[in-house]
Amino acid sequence: MSLDNLILLTGRTISQGVALEGGKVTRENVRAAGICTFDADDFKKLDCLAGTPVKVITDYGEVLVYSTISEEGPHPGIIFIPMGPWANQLVNPSSQGCGTPTYKGIKAKVEVAKSGKVLNALELIGKLKEA
Amino acid sequence: MVEKVRTVEDVCCPFCGTLCDDLEIDVDLKTDQVVEVRNGCQIGTKKYFSSNPSDHRYTKPLIRKNGEHVEVSWDEAIDKAADILVNAQRPLLYGFSSTECEAQSKGVELAEILNAILDNTASVCHGPSLLAIQDVGASLATLGEIKNRADTIIFWGSNPVHAHPRHLSRYSDFIRGYFRTDGRNDRYIVVVDPRYTHTAQIADKYIKVNPSEDYELIQAIRAMLRGSDLDVKEVSGVPIESIKELVDILKSSNFGVVFFGMGLTQTLAHHRNVDTAIRLVTELNDYTKFILIPMRGHYNVTGANVVFTWNTGYAYSIDFSRGYPRYNPGEFSSVELLMRDEVDAALIVASDPGSNFPAAAVKNLFKHPLIAIEPHKTPTSVFADVVLPVAIAGIECEGTAYRMDTVPLRLRKVKDAPGECLSDKEILERLIEKVREKMGE
Repeated sequence: MSLDNLILLTGRTISQGVALEGGKVTRENVRAAGICTFDADDFKKLDCLAGTPVKVITDYGEVLVYSTISEEGPHPGIIFIPMGPWANQLVNPSSQGCGTPTYKGIKAKVEVAKSGKVLNALELIGKLKEA
Repeated sequence: MVEKVRTVEDVCCPFCGTLCDDLEIDVDLKTDQVVEVRNGCQIGTKKYFSSNPSDHRYTKPLIRKNGEHVEVSWDEAIDKAADILVNAQRPLLYGFSSTECEAQSKGVELAEILNAILDNTASVCHGPSLLAIQDVGASLATLGEIKNRADTIIFWGSNPVHAHPRHLSRYSDFIRGYFRTDGRNDRYIVVVDPRYTHTAQIADKYIKVNPSEDYELIQAIRAMLRGSDLDVKEVSGVPIESIKELVDILKSSNFGVVFFGMGLTQTLAHHRNVDTAIRLVTELNDYTKFILIPMRGHYNVTGANVVFTWNTGYAYSIDFSRGYPRYNPGEFSSVELLMRDEVDAALIVASDPGSNFPAAAVKNLFKHPLIAIEPHKTPTSVFADVVLPVAIAGIECEGTAYRMDTVPLRLRKVKDAPGECLSDKEILERLIEKVREKMGE
């Protein structure tokens, strides 16, 4: 299943903060920041179990992350990915001339991943080094 | 009884802009490792524990040879780093927000010698706030004033429960103050956010604004404040009645504060959001005392702005290529430079752009030689050509840091750095010396 016309927001979460201080190259960081949180009703439409990897796609890129249901809802139509390497595959680098990229409020769509795995921070950023 | 630990008290936490100054750290006398942290939030506590030696802590300088990081001497690493910087046409010096002011000042000196671009992390977070404050000024106060006086607190596009975990209990919500003797009961908390955040869940009033439509909502509040009736049912997804109620609350408060975060600076309207928020606060001063404070993320990003400003005249995004400082964030900010692929070498100090810049910018950053001054393995340092291991400021070396309200506080050293780590300041001093030598000065 898939969902269209979503708005992606990114930002700090406390577990992402703890994970980045505890080691950015650890598995804990993937569990904290390699996730996408959904509004509970939106998530039902995806028809999958929480924790299933989903592919999030924007005009600027796509990334595979674990799905989870938001504790900070309801926020229908909005998905949230904690700031970090996964979110930054998707954000709009344009700053509209002010210098700061548009990290929040990006149109996105989501589909349940049929293949592939959620990469850790080094695998994900390593692809940018090779490219 | 034989003492097994020594306790360091009144320690400043080097994580977020709240800069809590009441931490107590127990350090094992035998191993010189942190064994207990009291009073810290989850994140600050973790930062102290992760300073202990681990498989992702650097202890020796590294240089990339044949695709692998190999341990080298400090002399060789500094020589290689200086080579990279001296031979670059348009080097970028970026980061500086998670280190202390003396090191930041050395960063400015190095940038000037190299005719480089100098930028700090404000360029990807509160840069728009700085632009707005330069445009229209701002009414500010210290967090102590807020603790003692504020009775109406607005968190706009900011989620302190997650990002500044002790802010609410130390300054803005639960804390008792001189005129707010009943703490939480004496304050009215408003949260404006597209998500019903954990901060919103403990607020008195939650306003659910549509994503990227904060500008319209602030303008509607300003219009109503001036007595205009708006001929619509809702603005930015917020019913008119709710906005009216908010305006009445704001006008009738004794001392109000707007704390704002990335919800205003990283959405489409960027500094225009903050411009209008500042103007709203100015206009509210016709009725009552109102101020605003940006919720700064890194513990010393305010310090980076202050230090850069007193050295160059500008807070961030500074270009020295003509031999004198020039400032133009849309042009000289790190992400814009990288998107245009202008940078041909980078020195990253106390930051992780590999994780925190948009992917397209990171790709261009990695095309060219990269030097990282960094204590831990990060997606930036792992792909760097030179890694210079550093003592963590506020844990393993002293220094000064500025809290989000621009109050300077002294960071403490609680233990020694592992291995051959040097402080940011020492590393930058050695780099400056070597660069001067290579440039024949």
